[in-house]
Amino acid sequence: MTWITIVWSMNAAACLTLAGIYLLVWCKQREGWAHLLFSFTAVAAAAIAAFELAMMHAETVGRYEALIRWIHVPVWVLIVSVVSFVRLYLRAGRPWLAWSICGLRTLVLILDFIFTPNLNFRQITSLRQFSWGSEVISVPIVAANPWILLSSVSLLLLIIFFIDATITVWRRGDRRRALVVGGSMIFGAILAWHVPLVIWGIIDIPFFLSFAYSGIVAAMAYELSYDLLHAAQLARQLQASEADLRETEERMELAASAAKLGMWMWDIARNEIWITDKGRALFGFAPSEKVDFDRFRTAVHPEDREFVLQAVENSLHTGAEYEAEYRVLLADGQVRWIAGRGHVEFNGNGQPARMRGAALDITKRKQAEEQFRLVVEAAPNAMIMVNTDGCITLVNTQAEAVFTYAREELIGHPIEMLVPERFRSNNMGDRRCYFCDARARPMGAGQELFGRRKDGSEVPIEIGLNPIHTSEGLFVLASIIDISERKRAELEAARQRSQMAHLSRVTTLGELSGSLAHELNLPLSAILFNAQAAQRLLAHGDADLAEVQEILSEIVSEDKHAGEVIRRLRLWLKKGEVQQHSLRINKVVQDVLKLIRSDLVNQNVTADVELARNLPTVTGDPVQLQQVLVNLVVNACDAITNCTIPERRLLIRTGIENRNGSSAVTVSVTDRGGSIPEEKMEQIFEPFFTTKAKGMGLGLSVCRTIIAAHRGKLWATNNADCGATFRFSLPIGVPDKEVVITNN
Amino acid sequence: MTTPPSPTVFVVDDYAPVRSSISRLLRAAGFAVAAFGSPQEFLAQYDPRIPGCLVLDLDMPAVNGFELQRILAKKGSLLPIIFLTGHGDIPKSVRAMKHGASDFLTKPVNDEDLLAAIRVAIEKDRALRRGQTNLTEIRARLATLTPREREVLEHVVTGKLNKQIAGDLGTVEQTVKVHRARVMDKLKVQSVAELVRLTERCGITGR
Repeated sequence: MTWITIVWSMNAAACLTLAGIYLLVWCKQREGWAHLLFSFTAVAAAAIAAFELAMMHAETVGRYEALIRWIHVPVWVLIVSVVSFVRLYLRAGRPWLAWSICGLRTLVLILDFIFTPNLNFRQITSLRQFSWGSEVISVPIVAANPWILLSSVSLLLLIIFFIDATITVWRRGDRRRALVVGGSMIFGAILAWHVPLVIWGIIDIPFFLSFAYSGIVAAMAYELSYDLLHAAQLARQLQASEADLRETEERMELAASAAKLGMWMWDIARNEIWITDKGRALFGFAPSEKVDFDRFRTAVHPEDREFVLQAVENSLHTGAEYEAEYRVLLADGQVRWIAGRGHVEFNGNGQPARMRGAALDITKRKQAEEQFRLVVEAAPNAMIMVNTDGCITLVNTQAEAVFTYAREELIGHPIEMLVPERFRSNNMGDRRCYFCDARARPMGAGQELFGRRKDGSEVPIEIGLNPIHTSEGLFVLASIIDISERKRAELEAARQRSQMAHLSRVTTLGELSGSLAHELNLPLSAILFNAQAAQRLLAHGDADLAEVQEILSEIVSEDKHAGEVIRRLRLWLKKGEVQQHSLRINKVVQDVLKLIRSDLVNQNVTADVELARNLPTVTGDPVQLQQVLVNLVVNACDAITNCTIPERRLLIRTGIENRNGSSAVTVSVTDRGGSIPEEKMEQIFEPFFTTKAKGMGLGLSVCRTIIAAHRGKLWATNNADCGATFRFSLPIGVPDKEVVITNN
Repeated sequence: MTTPPSPTVFVVDDYAPVRSSISRLLRAAGFAVAAFGSPQEFLAQYDPRIPGCLVLDLDMPAVNGFELQRILAKKGSLLPIIFLTGHGDIPKSVRAMKHGASDFLTKPVNDEDLLAAIRVAIEKDRALRRGQTNLTEIRARLATLTPREREVLEHVVTGKLNKQIAGDLGTVEQTVKVHRARVMDKLKVQSVAELVRLTERCGITGR
């Protein structure tokens, strides 16, 4: 064996080894086409080496001709493979160049088998042999075939293709790859030009075309191995990061388990649900049981199934967060409340691929909610819970009854629907204020509140407000009492009181010895005297017109006066509506003095009056207050008349008193008559208690009822020297709703 | 002696419209009228020498009609009073008449009734004043008696004899006779019967 045989054979063996290795690699990774192409290239390179060796040792012209013809086959394989490799692996080189090269080489191969002896030569005349070292090498003496130009053109295009591809890769920034792969290919393609030089006898060296190609193969192998190494490195890194990921997942699962969260992931395409052990326990899945969506569906309580499916469908379609609170029916019949949350992940086509989420056991919370609901339901009053937006979140049966709405018509609607329209805007403002400073208190202090029923009618109500702080925010629980019945009873009481007061007024009028009718006599007398005087003046014929004028104007004024007396009388005897006025107590006293003037005169009693100035107004019914004062004055006159002391005076005094921080206007009537025995001090205010022969014993009891309805007090005290003082007080300020009530 | 003043109707009523309308009516009927708003006002200005009558409202504050009637009687006034009242009743009218009221009318009163009552009252006043004039003269004659003569007079009107009187006074019958003659002379009476009638009118009682 000569050394050339050894080297060329080793070269071929190396190429075949590499081809074998990468063929194996390709078998493992079918999508790695670069590996297969490399294998072809390496096999072709090995074959070229074998042909070269055979040619150098060829003995006859015929054998040489045949070898040259057949060497075109591995060359074709090699060039097509390398071009494809450049396109596929380096993703460089112009496609038209690639196709041109492949096409040209195929033409060359076809022509090679058409021409005799081959494409390269028209004829090999003889073999020239020279010795190179210790070797004898055969070289043909030839007549060149002009079609060989096609082969040369294909080689030239190949060099251009390689240069272009190298530049592209270089520009892409992958300089190492450009240098190693592109450089070796260009170098290899250039080296191929030594073959004609040897044939033409210009240089005497053995053919080493196979080495030029082996260089390319080596560079390709290096590049591919680099990639393999890189992939292996990536795989290691991936493994490491997967380990990290697993640890993170484990930690998360631990946290989820601590929070009693069951984590799950639903692979929608495969319909597989992966779920943590905690999650399995929540839903009652066996530890090794395979879970799919259908298994999940059957776990959900039948009554909640449709609702849960809808929630899932909705998330899948819209991509919205999945959120649902539902019951799970466990094998032992136990019911568990679950709060589920999750979100959908979509694949590149916008199809839902996965859904991930968590499930939480909220049974205890639900039980607490249920208890709260039952307590509210069992409450004797109407209860309505409202959130910060003013929407109703909870009502009980009593609330339905008071407002005549069904529960479904109330929940989720603004509370203003239950407020009469005239109060609505105020209510919204008040509600906001309340949420700013929420504490338990009655609503609308001092005001009358009304609710609006479904049919638009109003119902008088009383409302207590309680703030409730929950994890979902602040709520207000309103406790509502229908006070229609109470109002009716109050109205009835007021009506009876009014009737009683009227009866008492009529009685009092009868008891007034002077009587109001007498008051009419005065103006009537004046009118009569004036009229008759005028008649006389006119009868004489010498009437002074100025005097007649004066008489007439006096008649008119007295007539008005009489009318005023009648009006006062009518007012006094009027039955019915109790009115509430803001009034001055001094005016009431003066009106009473006008009413009883003639009585005082008749009984020869002098009334001294001390009226305090600048008294605040009080609220009440003027006629009823007059009635009280008339009663007190008439009683005082009686006390004076029954007394032997000659001082026939009484004192009416108004003033203001402060007691316990609240102010009240007071009116007192003091007489100089006898005193009241201490044991009868309260008895005198009882109905049917009387000391008078003709009295009914109603006066003072009615007076006390009237004053009480005005939120005032009426009491009596004995004076230090003689006589007694009756005094009543009336609160100053806000109108009293008790007095507002009318009797229809 | 000056001519006596013409009769005046005094009106006392606290209610101004009634006061002024009565005044107007009476003036139209030809009377002189003096009106007062209260008894006090009337008492302050009243001149008892003026003849006439008083139309008095019964119901007035402070001093009422009855009280004014009492005050006037106390003063010895003989002015006839016609009471006018808004609410007259029998007890009140009885009380008024008992104390010498001329009439008791209830408001509103017809003009003729009122004027008639006033005319009667004025006539009564005139008669009273005439009697009053005689009495004044007698009183003037009585005033001329000495204390001893007055003593004797008081004994004579009891119907005692001169001897008895002398015994009572501690003197002699002759002295009593002289005093008696002088009393008869001074009082211008002719008989004891006349003397007795005269002393009765003056309110002198025997002892």
